[in-house]
Amino acid sequence: MEQSGTSALLQGAVQDLSSDVASVLRDGGHVRLPDGALDGPEAGHAITVAAVRVLGADLLLPHVLSRTAPLPDTLDAFQRTVETFPPRSDAAPTVVWSHWAMGRTLHRFDGTGTATAEPDADWLGTATWQLLTHQLAVLAPLAVPGEDSAVARAARGRPVDVARGFVRAVRRRDWLQAAGAGRWLTLLDGVPQTLGLESGLDFVELMGGGDPRVALQLEAARAMRWAGAPV
Amino acid sequence: MTSAVDAGWIRDVEVAALAWISAHRGDFALDEDAFTVEGAVDLTWKPLGELAQTCVSVGRRTPPADPLHACVRDLLAFAWQQTGQGELFLRLQRLEPFATYPLEVYSVFAGAGFRHAGYEAAAATVARTRGWRLTEQEPTRRLGLLNAERRSGIHRPEPAAQALGRTWLGGLPEPWAFERTAGYALTHVVFHLTDWGRTAEDVPDDLAAYLSQWLPPWLDTCLDAGMWDLCCELLIVAASLPRPPDTAMLHDAWTRLAHAQLDSGAIPLNAPDTADGPDEGFVHCYHSTLMAAFAAALSVDHLTRGPEARAQDPQNRYGGQGVPG
Repeated sequence: MEQSGTSALLQGAVQDLSSDVASVLRDGGHVRLPDGALDGPEAGHAITVAAVRVLGADLLLPHVLSRTAPLPDTLDAFQRTVETFPPRSDAAPTVVWSHWAMGRTLHRFDGTGTATAEPDADWLGTATWQLLTHQLAVLAPLAVPGEDSAVARAARGRPVDVARGFVRAVRRRDWLQAAGAGRWLTLLDGVPQTLGLESGLDFVELMGGGDPRVALQLEAARAMRWAGAPV
Repeated sequence: MTSAVDAGWIRDVEVAALAWISAHRGDFALDEDAFTVEGAVDLTWKPLGELAQTCVSVGRRTPPADPLHACVRDLLAFAWQQTGQGELFLRLQRLEPFATYPLEVYSVFAGAGFRHAGYEAAAATVARTRGWRLTEQEPTRRLGLLNAERRSGIHRPEPAAQALGRTWLGGLPEPWAFERTAGYALTHVVFHLTDWGRTAEDVPDDLAAYLSQWLPPWLDTCLDAGMWDLCCELLIVAASLPRPPDTAMLHDAWTRLAHAQLDSGAIPLNAPDTADGPDEGFVHCYHSTLMAAFAAALSVDHLTRGPEARAQDPQNRYGGQGVPG
């Protein structure tokens, strides 16, 4: 019971944070954590930090795109999360990369984080188009205009495969993966015109936009398209 | 995993599928239901025509010395015999002179060299009318009728491009809008354009590029959904394009289809959605098993002969007319 209760709390916290980031991407302003989220009992603190970890670098995406400074509390929570969850030596590549992306974002805003060397991304070069798209969707926080990485270079090298993955995700009604893949596609050259990306993203919103995590990815894709910058 | 090993696996599926078809050929036989105005066409002429088309197409892609070639030639002769060597198409036409399905079925035989002059003359008479040419049909079916007329020596002043532009595939729709109905429509557009896998060069460049790009996710998700019949049709499409199909895609698809094949050799239309196990009945299995044999023959041909060898094949260069064998 305790596990499922904690899991539900974390899920709720992730949804709330995603909603907030999506609305800031759409309307401007600052990403805010719930009042006292980091000052309350230890359990609540842990939930917030864990939720920030799930969002990863996307917590501060509105500030990256708008080149504005995040609120000190938000940046503090972000920093604490980076420090609390260093990847284990046997962590999956996506976990390692997610942490690296957070470190890069932290370094951008406070200069105190270390800009560590990029992890290895060779596994993406040999991945099937299905796995490639799945992994890129998990690593959607790395899809940011002007922010290069080995993951972004792997995506740039396989635009048709990512487009195929988007089609597969829509067909499977996996809206979160579709939205993440769609966000990458917004940044890639060489995407087949017949994909119909813009109406595809609208369709994903229509069908799956009720999930704040999906909405965040779609708002990110829109914001980046308006920015118009390549990866 | 080499191509040679893949071809062996795929051929095993084809051999078992054709064994099932041969064992059930009596179920394709026409009975009196085939000759009533309200007859069950979908259970009589349609399966027989599909049997014939599969045999014609498999025969074209199978070397004459291969025992499978003799197998499909024998089945095709059986199917022609069921039509009374074409005589029964005349009887059918007298029942429903403006129905198009008799000509569509007849044309399968005509395309393979089995012809009946009397029926062709009668069909041509009806086909000259405005009433025949104005038959209201979905664009995909219209393409099929145009191909049937061509194969039967009927020349209508209507370009296929006109019907093609009105099909789902011809409009190059968003590939994520693919669903079951659109899938069957697009496979048949390619069947009709290429005369069932014979003339890959008749697929316009933009369609060929579009299909090469999007067949992998369509096939993958249909395999996930256990839509075996549509999967086999998509594999036929993949092997009917100017560019050879992706071998990784073939390997994945045939691995899963081989797993879906029943001990009897049949491949059901789709995976069972209950715990009761697959429906092994003729109606549930015949079409997907035919399509599996057809798709397997094309895949094996691609993996073992390659496109250059096929380009040298006079049967493919000059229209493929003539009785197989």
